[in-house]
Parts: sequence; structure tokens; C-alpha cells
Amino acid sequence: MSKPADKKILVVDDEDDIRQFLELALKEAGFNVITATDGFEAMDQVEKENPDLISLDLVMPKKSGAKFYRDLSKSKKYNKIPVLIVTGHARDELGRADLKELTLSGPGIYLEKPISPPKYVAAVKSLLGLDATDEEKILAEQVNLQSELKNIIDSADPETLKQLKKLINGKK
Amino acid sequence: MMAKKIPDISALNSDWIHSEFFQMVPYMVAVVDKDYNIVEANANFEDFFGEWKNKKCYAVYKKQDKPCENCPSFKIFKDGQPRVIDSVVVDKEGRQAHNVVHSVPLHNPDDKSVEFIIEMSSAVTETNRLQQEVSVLFDRVPCYITVIDSDYRIVRANEKFRESFGDVLGQYCYKVYKRRNKKCPNCPAAKTFKDGKNHESEQSGIGKKGQSINYIVSTSPLKRGGGDIAHVIEISTDVTKLKVLEKDIIDAERLAAVGQTVAGLAHSIKNILMGLEGGKYMIGLGLKKDDRDLIDRGSEMLDRNFNKTTSLVRDFLSFSKGRLPELKMTDPNKLATEIIDLYKDIAGQSGIELKSKLSPKIKKAPLDADAIHTCLTNLVSNAIDACQMGKQKGTEVVVSVRDEKNTLIFEVTDNGAGMDYDIKKKIFTTFFTTKGGKGTGLGLLTSRKLVQEHGGRIVVKSQKNKGSLFRLEFPRQRLNYIYKESRKNGDEENN
Repeated sequence: MSKPADKKILVVDDEDDIRQFLELALKEAGFNVITATDGFEAMDQVEKENPDLISLDLVMPKKSGAKFYRDLSKSKKYNKIPVLIVTGHARDELGRADLKELTLSGPGIYLEKPISPPKYVAAVKSLLGLDATDEEKILAEQVNLQSELKNIIDSADPETLKQLKKLINGKK
Repeated sequence: MMAKKIPDISALNSDWIHSEFFQMVPYMVAVVDKDYNIVEANANFEDFFGEWKNKKCYAVYKKQDKPCENCPSFKIFKDGQPRVIDSVVVDKEGRQAHNVVHSVPLHNPDDKSVEFIIEMSSAVTETNRLQQEVSVLFDRVPCYITVIDSDYRIVRANEKFRESFGDVLGQYCYKVYKRRNKKCPNCPAAKTFKDGKNHESEQSGIGKKGQSINYIVSTSPLKRGGGDIAHVIEISTDVTKLKVLEKDIIDAERLAAVGQTVAGLAHSIKNILMGLEGGKYMIGLGLKKDDRDLIDRGSEMLDRNFNKTTSLVRDFLSFSKGRLPELKMTDPNKLATEIIDLYKDIAGQSGIELKSKLSPKIKKAPLDADAIHTCLTNLVSNAIDACQMGKQKGTEVVVSVRDEKNTLIFEVTDNGAGMDYDIKKKIFTTFFTTKGGKGTGLGLLTSRKLVQEHGGRIVVKSQKNKGSLFRLEFPRQRLNYIYKESRKNGDEENN
């Protein structure tokens, strides 16, 4: 079984503070971390360092996370790298469409800012199939469950959802 | 056929009547005797009515077999008075037609009695049809049409006008349109009386039911024999409904700006929370590991994000300030000059030339000077940043002011970094910034909101590595409308 120390994570975010924060959280968990501030830099890093996982912000200047992800998926060499989306735009017009595209066709897991370090680390470990602490397992399950539910709800038809809501309310 | 005793009707027998003149005269001419016989007619007549020889006039004119009752022409045999008659006749194809007939007597030179009448008809069917068309057009065209004389009295009004304003012939137009007792200031009709040219203006009047009517009126001269302007025709388009729509659009634009701002605000706060979370985490970790450096970094991160909160709140307050701008008549040149003075040194220090292109004769406009000042400040400071980012040599920022098609325009152009499509798309959508921690991403959003509150819009053109153009467009009519609205609201508040 591999350890965090065997894994290299690429953190992509245009905000200095957030990048430093995520980098630190991962390093504390034992990962090797490299960083990039936009989609162009991220692609350079991928080619140079071949990371094991990419933590990706969506809305960035120059080249956005969505654009970067599309390019990445086209690359036969790199399209197997798991991607964890970390965004503050999950619910607004700037990120919603991109996110929907990426979660439906792509990595399927995203975290909405703000996030706590344990939750973040748990999600990374889960994506990499690494051993996690009990606490991390619970958190990761939460993330997975939430993402899964979100996917189901996003693709469900509104009538079914209404019935479901009725059912849940009725059991209360 | 002329076997009857003809005393000395030399005219009839003379050459001229058979001459080309008789044939060429642009009338259908017939000579009729007391017994309704057509005794002579020209080629035009025959072309129109067909065979006439040895026929009675009623048979030829009307294709009937007895004389018309009260034939006005035949009264001439009694009183000798010439007449002009409107007549409905039947042509040789059996079609009904309208003719105007000039009937004149031919006298017996001896006893001066009327021996024959000469009937000269011209076809007016087409003219009648056209007249009818014109009159339907005049009455039913979806415009108000009035003709006024030089005393400003209405001498003609179309049906559409009467429907909205009542029957008003002979009344003063200012009384009818606006219930005023004096001529209106800036009356376009007065201008037309003066210079004989077409004029146009937007007005609001009061209908017969007291309803307010907004209209755009255009005035044109009606000249008497090519000389004096005796009358002016006023054609007005009712834009009341359009006005309501326009107001809805302005309101919707304002609301949209607020919605986008709230969405953007949420994102901005998320990022700040994330920064605070990060700072907290670093300090916690630093304490745990007794790592002074980590504690310092964490505390700096907290500081930065607290500061961001402060500036966010400040910007947001300025953003949410007031729904209606406080408009005062302002000189656009002065606004631009103030901005130039403010930024000249800052730009100069970075080797950027800040220029102005003013329009010395530009009219004042109702503007919220503070708001426009804020917009131009944002645009100019953005332009300077873009020049610094662009790293080209000989960069410049130009602030220009001008009027274009009754729209007041402020323009800020730079030849700095420019933007690609992705960035251009996002500059107004949320708290988007390409300046890292330096900007809150509110500047352009605030600018746009302020411009929209003036009924205006921002146009952006930009090319990566070539430069950007930001244009504030304020249609003067909208400015005037908002000016009136804000003054109305002001009055209500005072009451």
C-alpha cells in the first residue's frame, strides 16, 4: 500500500493565500506538493512533474480550470490523472455550467470553498485510494456521498424530486 | 343632323370648332340641343362614351332611356348661367365613372336665347380614388396630425387626433395638446414658422380624458403658393407605451446589476473565509510545532483577509448606495479634466502618458458627478494597471468626451495589456479580478451599476496585447427622463 509520501499533488489556484493554505495542509499530511497559479502554469507542471493528483480551482485568469481540464482530458498521456475540483463558484453563473460539465463527464468530485484541511486531505486520499484515518474516512464518505447525491439530483427529473421530497417530509 | 333651324351659330359652324383645337382640348366635349340630342362631340368624348351620333345625351352619358330628373345642365336653357357639375356617368364599357362637367350656354345671336349647351367633361375617378385614399390615410395613420395657422389655431385635425384629444378645430394647439394658456417654450412649430424647415421634439401632453400622452412631434411647413408659410403640419407619434417599456427596461437592468452583485459578493466572501481558514490553520499548526515562521505567515494571512473584508465592505457600501443617482447639470469636460489631474502624476511615474480629448462645445448633461467620477477613476486606474501589465514602451491612456447621435460619451482607451475573450466575458459578471490580492473585483461592477442607473451602458472592446477601450454611453433622452423622474421623487419626498 502506498503512502502519501509516494504521491505528488499539483495544487492549482490563482489566490496566493488559498494556494499556500492547501499546499500546507497537504504537506502536513505527508504529500509532496507542487503548485501553479493558472491553467497554463498547471499544464507546464503536469508535463514536467507528472503529478498523481490535481487539485483544481475553476475560475482563474489567463487559462481557467475548466479549459485546463478539457485540454487534460484530451491528452492520452495525462487523462488518467485524478482531478479534485475546489471552487467557490459551484452555485453561481460563473462556475455552474463548467462544474456541471466537469462533474458529469469528468472527475465527479468537487469541494466547495471554504473547506477545512481534514476534509480536503480526506478527499485527496480517497481519490488516490490511500489509507485514511477513521475520521478521514467519515469525511471522505461525506464528500463522496454529497457529490454522488448532487450528481443524482442534478440529473434527476423535477417530478421525481418532488415525490422524493414528499416521501422524506412524510416520514418526519 | 343639323337640319334644324340654326339661326347664326357661327361658332358652331366656324372652322375653329372643327379644328384641331376642338379635338385636342383635354376635355370630352359635347354640344347638346334642347331635345337632348348630341349634335356634336370630339374624339375624346367618343373614346370615352362610345358612339354618340343620333343619340340622346342621357343614353350616351348614363346609358338610360329617359332624361335625368332635374338635369342641372338643362337649367342653363332657362337661366343661361354656366355650371360646374359633379356627375356619375357610364363609359362605353359600362363602367361607372366620376366626371366633373363644365356646362356653358351657346346663345342665339339674334334673341340671345340659349340654343345649345356645350358640356366639357373631365374624368376625376382616379383623382377621387386618390383623394379617398389620402383622406383615409390622413385619418387613420397611427399618428396625431394637426394643421395649425400662424396664430397656432388648429385648422385641421385627423380622426386619430380627435379620438385622443377631442374635437378641437379653431382652438389653440398649446391649449389642446397641453392645456396651456401660452405658447410652449421650445415649440417646434414656431421654429418651422421661422425657418421653414422640419423640426422634431419629444413632448408630453394631456388627452381629453386627462391621460398623459408622450409623443414625438415633427413639424413641416405648408407654403402658400411657394411663398409665406401659412400653415404648419404637426405629425406626432404616440410613444406613451414605449416610454413605459423603456422604464421597465431601465428598472430591469438595475435589478440585474443588483442580482449579479449579490452572487459575486457570495463568492468574494467564500474566498475571504478560505483565507481566514488558512490563516487559522497555519497559526494552529505553528503553535503545535512551535514554528515561529508558520505562526507569522498565518498571522499575515489573517491580516490580509481581514483587510480584504474591510475593503469589500467599503466597496459594497458604495455599490449599494442610493437607487436613483443625484443628477445635476454637469459639464462633462470638467469631469474628465478632474480625472486627468488626479492621475497625471501616478501615470507619469510609470512612464505612461495620460491624455485628454475634450469637446469644448459639448452641452451640459444631468449627471451624478460623484458617480461618474467613480466610474472614470475605476476605468483610468484599470487602464494604467493594464499599461503596467503590458510592459510595452510608449504606453498611453486617453480620456475623451464627445456627443454622438444625442448620446453623451466618455471613453477611456489604453494600449496596454488588453484582454482575451475569457477575461472580457467575466469582467462584469462577478467579483472577478486579474490583479490577485490587489483588487476586489468590484470596480467595473460598481461602474456598470452607476452607469446603468443613469440609463447608460458600458461598451468594452479589447484585444490581447493591443489594448482596451471602455466607453460609457449615456443617451441624453434617457438622462433627461431620469432627471425628471428623480426630481419628481424629490418633490414627493418634500411634500
